[in-house]
Amino acid sequence: MAWINQNRNALISAVIVVIVLALMFNGMSPQTASSVILSGITLAALYFLVASGVSLIFGLMDVLNFAHGSLFMIGAYAGWTYYTNPRLLFNTGSLLLALVAGFALSPLLARFIVLPRWARWLAFLIAFVIAIFSVRDFPIDKLVAMGMTMTGKVIPTAEAQEPMTTMLMRLAGAFLAGAVASAGIATRSAERRAAPMQQTIALVIGMIVAAVIILLAREPGEQFILQTDSNWRFLMAMVAGALTGGAIGALMEWGLIRPLYSRPIYQILLTLGLTFVFDQVVRFVWGPAGAFMEIPKWFNTPSKDCPSDNLWVWFAQNCDSVFIGGRPFPSYRLFIILVGILMLIVIALLLQRTRFGMIIRAGVQDSEMVEALGINVRRVFTLVFAIGAALAGLGGVVAAPFLGVYPGMAMEFLLQAFIVVVIGGLGSIPGAVAGALLVGLARAYGDNIVLAGIQLPWMKDAISGSPAIARASTVLIMAIVLFLKPTGIFGKKD
Amino acid sequence: MPNILELNSIQTFIGQFHILEGVSLSVAEGSITALLGRNGAGKTTTLKSIIGLRPPRDGAVIFAGTDIRGRRPYDIAALGIGYVPEHRAIFRALTVEENLKIAERKKGDLARRADFIFGLFPDLKKFIKLSAGQLSGGQQQMLAIARALVPDNRLLLIDEPSEGLAPILIEQLMTSIRSLSAHTTVLLVEQNFRMASQLADSYYLIDDGKSVQHGAMKDLVNDRATIQRYLGAAQA
Ligand SMILES: Nc1ncnc2c1ncn2[C@@H]1O[C@H](COP(=O)(O)OP(=O)(O)OP(=O)(O)O)[C@@H](O)[C@H]1O
Ligand SMILES: [Mg+2]
Repeated sequence: MAWINQNRNALISAVIVVIVLALMFNGMSPQTASSVILSGITLAALYFLVASGVSLIFGLMDVLNFAHGSLFMIGAYAGWTYYTNPRLLFNTGSLLLALVAGFALSPLLARFIVLPRWARWLAFLIAFVIAIFSVRDFPIDKLVAMGMTMTGKVIPTAEAQEPMTTMLMRLAGAFLAGAVASAGIATRSAERRAAPMQQTIALVIGMIVAAVIILLAREPGEQFILQTDSNWRFLMAMVAGALTGGAIGALMEWGLIRPLYSRPIYQILLTLGLTFVFDQVVRFVWGPAGAFMEIPKWFNTPSKDCPSDNLWVWFAQNCDSVFIGGRPFPSYRLFIILVGILMLIVIALLLQRTRFGMIIRAGVQDSEMVEALGINVRRVFTLVFAIGAALAGLGGVVAAPFLGVYPGMAMEFLLQAFIVVVIGGLGSIPGAVAGALLVGLARAYGDNIVLAGIQLPWMKDAISGSPAIARASTVLIMAIVLFLKPTGIFGKKD
Repeated sequence: MPNILELNSIQTFIGQFHILEGVSLSVAEGSITALLGRNGAGKTTTLKSIIGLRPPRDGAVIFAGTDIRGRRPYDIAALGIGYVPEHRAIFRALTVEENLKIAERKKGDLARRADFIFGLFPDLKKFIKLSAGQLSGGQQQMLAIARALVPDNRLLLIDEPSEGLAPILIEQLMTSIRSLSAHTTVLLVEQNFRMASQLADSYYLIDDGKSVQHGAMKDLVNDRATIQRYLGAAQA
């Protein structure tokens, strides 16, 4: 009884949802209904991967991260690059790593010099000039031109890449730019001075060595990656997307959001601004057109036995689709659903079973009190931000073979994820699940109307809709939920 | 007795408001020291200044011989300071056990202190698996104090523990605080003057963000005029 009372709102919403679903699918053939539902759950899994991070980050830090859709997009592009065009990764990754190595010098520099404010700006300016100078005429367009993105402009790797000596000079330039900039951020705080000197030096040297190795290994490395079979390459691409998302997320929190915890408006402006920055970066590096990503073999092997009713044949032959409710459904989408469920389980275990999760749950209520118990809450914030960003990056890679990669995916998924968390309640993981399912199903249903039209009992012809209706339907759901329960289905905070 | 804590004229701001304009006090190791003053005098802000949640802009906060002003709260707490905030700020969504576990600084802190803690507050043992939000007000206050006892703290900052408790519970609470003070030093903010006067060895009075008077508790009890002036007629 107590449980029913506590979850009354959720139960009422569930009942309403069931009734609405029953009405929606009433009159639809079971085949159509099941494929709409499965498509809906596929979208829901992707929405969940973005929304869960938004929700966790808001719940713990009261930060609405408008850049979360961009992290999804960056993850997708990073994964896509690993999967289809690793030469870009080798040639740019080494430069980025050298830049970061330069930045990592800052705790060391802080021991010797702390610049006055004006000199900091000067340092940034000089660093910027060095950075510009060291990437001057960098042939990014050639590195990107793989035939997939730019029709008719396939360039062999050997011609697209610059000679090693040029690249090593660029690498040195990137490191120098990072080092000069790091003098600009070196501060005399106790935390930084406490970092042991040997550790900093080892870290910086390690990163430089890694950057050089990446560069030296660019050709065998590219061959190696492209020759691994598509399944493993795809799994590695997922890792690459998650790592890229997580690293950018951690950097964002540490460098940009942390200084602004007492100024929420600036945070919103900043993260919103970042979406445009990321958008421009992606358009600049990969071009505005977008690209497809091939589905890995596990889910896409042509065979005379496929598609089959026999689940074993489907599994053993790696069929590209499976009969569900009498209609073929793409296998890869089942994989998306699986990833969504796995990540939900991982998040749930993390939150409920680990000390880290306990700290997060406590911090959602009162992060000051958590800190007063002797826990470094800032570090927890950075980690949670990184985890949320990694989930989004992973989602991007998983989405890529299904939806492709394109600059617009950032805004599209940001919007859907915000609708999801608003419906489900900001800061609640069960809410993110419920919201994702609602929005996913509404989208799939809307898309189906667009295709097939809707048949109302008193009308002779079906009304067909436009894609705008499918999009509007999710906003409509959000409005209804907010009207009934302003904090969202599971929300306690507002 | 050496002083475990000393505040030297700390200046604390909240936003642009100058809230503490020179609070000084010293807390002798092993004592219970009461921090008294009317509503809004700055008692809570003083405790938050010590633990670092409202870092003072000026002055000194000397804990066990070192100036800790400006350090991060987690850093200060780890030196051995437990904070029991006002309004029973326990973690409602966590179980009683998790509320205690989260305060561990070393693995096994709770197991080591379990007998002591549950000896003081047997109810907590009974409801160990219950979510803390379901505890009664009194039990939540017990939990908030118990949480500060999990690690080895040398100093406890307790903010208005009697707030909203029935008289019989206040008696229990006093017994508990008295017995835990055998192990740690306590700086106690308390509106209930009877409780404060029976527990504390010495007192500090603050008014309008400044410390105005201090001395032995037994002297204050008989000083009706001072009590009336700084704490109000009801307490006299
Ligand atoms: N967030 C805040 N913003 C502005 N002023 C504040 C804030 N918090 C507290 N103050 C002011 O600081 C002063 C001291 O508050 P504090 O909470 O320390 O008082 P207190 O002595 O603990 O009072 P009480 O007995 O009511 O708990 C009060 O005048 C209060 O109005
Ligand atoms: Mg107070």
